[in-house]
Parts: sequence; structure tokens; C-alpha cells
Amino acid sequence: MAEALSAEVRDLSLVYRGRGRDVIALSEVSLGIARGEFVSLIGPSGCGKSTLLRVLGDLLTPTQGTVAIKGRTPRAERLDRRIGFVFQEAALLEWRSVLDNIALPLELHGASRRDREARARALIELVGLTGFEAAWPRQLSGGMRQRAAIARALSTEPDLLLLDEPFGALDQITRDRLNMELARIHEVTGVSVVLVTHSIREAVLLSDRIVVMTPRPGRIERILDDPLPRPRSLGTRLLPAYEDLVRAGSRELEKGYANV
Amino acid sequence: MSDSTLAAPVARRTAPLSHRLLDVAERSWPAVLILVALIAGWEWACAALGIKPYILPSPSAILTAALNDVPGLARNAGITAWEATAGFVIGSALGALLGTAFAYSRFLARGFLPFIIAANTIPVVAIAPIIIIWFGHGIGSKIAVTAFLSFFPLALNMMKGLQSYDRTVADVFHIAAASPLQTFFKMRLPSALPYVFVGLKLNVTFSVIGAIVAEFVQADRGLGFVIMTTYRTMAMPKLWAAMLLSALMGILFFLVVAMLERIFVPWHASMSTDP
Repeated sequence: MAEALSAEVRDLSLVYRGRGRDVIALSEVSLGIARGEFVSLIGPSGCGKSTLLRVLGDLLTPTQGTVAIKGRTPRAERLDRRIGFVFQEAALLEWRSVLDNIALPLELHGASRRDREARARALIELVGLTGFEAAWPRQLSGGMRQRAAIARALSTEPDLLLLDEPFGALDQITRDRLNMELARIHEVTGVSVVLVTHSIREAVLLSDRIVVMTPRPGRIERILDDPLPRPRSLGTRLLPAYEDLVRAGSRELEKGYANV
Repeated sequence: MSDSTLAAPVARRTAPLSHRLLDVAERSWPAVLILVALIAGWEWACAALGIKPYILPSPSAILTAALNDVPGLARNAGITAWEATAGFVIGSALGALLGTAFAYSRFLARGFLPFIIAANTIPVVAIAPIIIIWFGHGIGSKIAVTAFLSFFPLALNMMKGLQSYDRTVADVFHIAAASPLQTFFKMRLPSALPYVFVGLKLNVTFSVIGAIVAEFVQADRGLGFVIMTTYRTMAMPKLWAAMLLSALMGILFFLVVAMLERIFVPWHASMSTDP
């Protein structure tokens, strides 16, 4: 069983020490993520969903509790480039072409020019940016920038892909498309995914499990199973079970918002 | 299936040279026209209104004075250009180094910045005699004055530039386990370049001024020396020629730096021009 676990969070607490008063961002959160699983974290602002994601990515250190990714610390996994992270902004280097942006992690890792370009070209195809290899980032639309950011996060072939509201700033149609791309990438690569989102519909459409969180202090309210058939498509949203799950998720979410 | 099929592939901006020259010609012809009109009006006014040459020499008189001493003016201009360039390079390099230290050490920045800013308010004409006493009567002291002027803008802009990186991009480098050196050369330095060029463009115009001011204080060659000696002998057309030459030099230096900016910061420089 432990072999099948991609990540395990146990009794995790994180306190932001502020001036005069401390903010409890996470309080005794426990969560297991299976290998290849797609998990969404959802909840109102201040519920700690992004904090939890940043702890998994070794961008934050917990105050208490343990985090293990494949039995190792997030730091060890990060140093081995086993973690991919996509942020709300694409955060591309404006002075590099799309190709060189996607190849950046491999370049930092010391991969040869030939290897990293071959890998970057394959990823460009995977995320649907063919033809834009030489473009500057500022020549891309918001959706295309996020595609490039996803490709960059996948460049080191991570086991764990962490996404922090990556589609929050996009229009609905672009968002639908990128949701489907993400579903397809998940199917193809078998990477474990943790997605932070504000949209219960996005969470239901993509996830195996949906973790509903509540604020003050940030903790897990409930974990919903999402047994909708795979592969997922935009047609998945026409299933009655989809609407049932959205309704159930919304009910749980409202409990969290009641405390806001 | 993807939005890449909706738009044509985008190539890097590489317009052919002939197009770019046409573009330059189209943008600069009004300025050329005004310049020609100004010179013609000036020439006409000097003759028609009988303005005395020592008050305002005519363009033709200035040109004649310049042509009478082409080797002398060229030699002196070359010396000033060398002083300005060497001072610019040395001062900018030292400023960049110190700015980098400030960006990485809050202690150094907080400790030194107040004094640096205070020193920056010293007028160059006041510090020039002191520097000449320290560095002697040769070219070295002129270079030192210019370097003194170039130092502060670059130190401040380098520090600001190195601190101006995108915090999410820093997270990307952290996730990718980049070393501090990789983070410096692949993220913070490129992020700083637009600021560095703001400093360099300031410096490059200051550098000609610095060299000439230093020559005013003490020199036996250079454009500043020519201006001083022609002033004493009231050889005004030649003084004007030297002044216009120094202005031309400043413009030329500025254009060189602007060109370097286009080469080193194409993603930024190309953003500032209309498509």
C-alpha cells in the first residue's frame, strides 16, 4: 500500500508568524495521494489550499507534522527534479523563446542542448504549441503562456505535478480546452496531480478525489470521491452523475463559506 | 483542438535590413528637414541682421574654422572620446559590482547607500580639482573624474534591477533546484538588464560632460582644452566647432549604447517601439 502512495501528509500544521498575531494557515491536515491519482483542493480564500500545495512543493516548511513524497522529504524530491509546479501566472522568462523556456529546468539540470531541445519539442507537441517554438512569451495569449508553463513543469518528467489555480485568469472557453489538455496529459503521462482551484465544476470534471477545505483555521472539511468514467471529456459534464457531484461539492463548499 | 491551429506561427522579429533602414528614414525625415531649415535660417540671419561673429558665428564660419584645423580637432576629440569611454567603462563596471553587492547584502546596502547618495550630490566641478590633485595632470585624472560620475547611476540601477525579478519566476527556479549562480546569471541578471541600460544611457551622456569639465580644470589637450583656449583668444567659430563636436560625440555614444540595448535586451527594447 505504501508503494502505491505518491504523497502522504500527516497531521500537518503551518502557522504564519505575523506581527502581533499568528495566522494558522493549516491545522492538522492529513491526506494521502495515490500514484497516478488526480486530486483537487478546493475551498474559499484562506482555507490553506495553496499553502498545502506549496508545502508539497518544498516552497514552504510546515510548522508541525510530516510530509512524505514516495517516502522521502519534499526537499529531496525537489532537488531530484521529481516535482513539477505550475503557478497562477505562467512566469515565463521574457528574454527566452518558448522552446528555451520549456527547456529551462533541463538546462539547469545540466542536460545537453540536443537532449533538452528534443524533450522540449516533444512537450511543445504534447501541450499543442507546435509552431511557436521560436516565439517570445509576450507574443503568446494567456492560454498559450499557461500551456508553455505546463510543458516546462513536465520537462523533468516529474512524478508529482502541482498546479496552483493555473487557469484562474483565463476565459471559459480557453479554460475548458486547457482542462481537457490537462486530463489528457494526466492520462498519457500517469503523473500524480494535485490541482488547487476555485471552481467545483473544474474539480469534478478532472479529479479522482476532491478535497474540500475550510478556513480559520485551514483544514479538510471533507473528501469527495469522483468516480466519473475515464477518460474524461467535455461530454462528461452531460452525465447526471456529474451534476450530482457538483451539487454535493457545492454543499460542502458552502459550509466553508459560512465561516467566512 | 488547440489554439495553435487558430493563429499563424509567430517568428522572431527579424525584419530585413532594407525594411529597417526605410523605417528609420521614415521616422527621421521630419527632424532632418527641421535641421536643414534651422541651419539655413541661421546662416541667413547672421548675414542679413549683421550679427557679429563673436556673438553668433554663422554655420559656414564654424565649418570653415573646423576645416582649418581638422587634424587638431580630431586629435583633441579623440583624447576626450578616450577619456570619456575609459571613465564610462571603469565607472560603470565598479558601479555594477557595488550594486551587485548591495543587492545581495542588506547590511552593505544600508551601511553604504546614505554616503553614496550624499557623495552623488557633490557637483562635479567641485570634486574635479581634488581628483586631479590625486591622479595627476595626465589623462588618468580625466578618466577618474568621468568614472566618478558614471559610478553612482550604475550602482543604484544595478541594485534596483537585481531586486526587481518576478517572485513567481524565483519560485520556478527554486522548484527546478537552481544553484545561486544559475539563479544570478539566468534570472536576476537578465531581469536587471533593462535597469542597467537606464543607468548606462545616463552615464554615457554624463561621461562626455565629465571629461570636458575635467579638462576645463586642468588640461593641455582635449575638447575642453580647445574650448578654454579658444575662449581666451575669442576664436568663437572654433569654440562653436569644438562644442558641436562634443555634442555630436555624446549623441554618438548614446546611439552606441542604445544599439547595445537592442542587442542585449531585445525582448524589452522591442516592446518600446510601435509594431
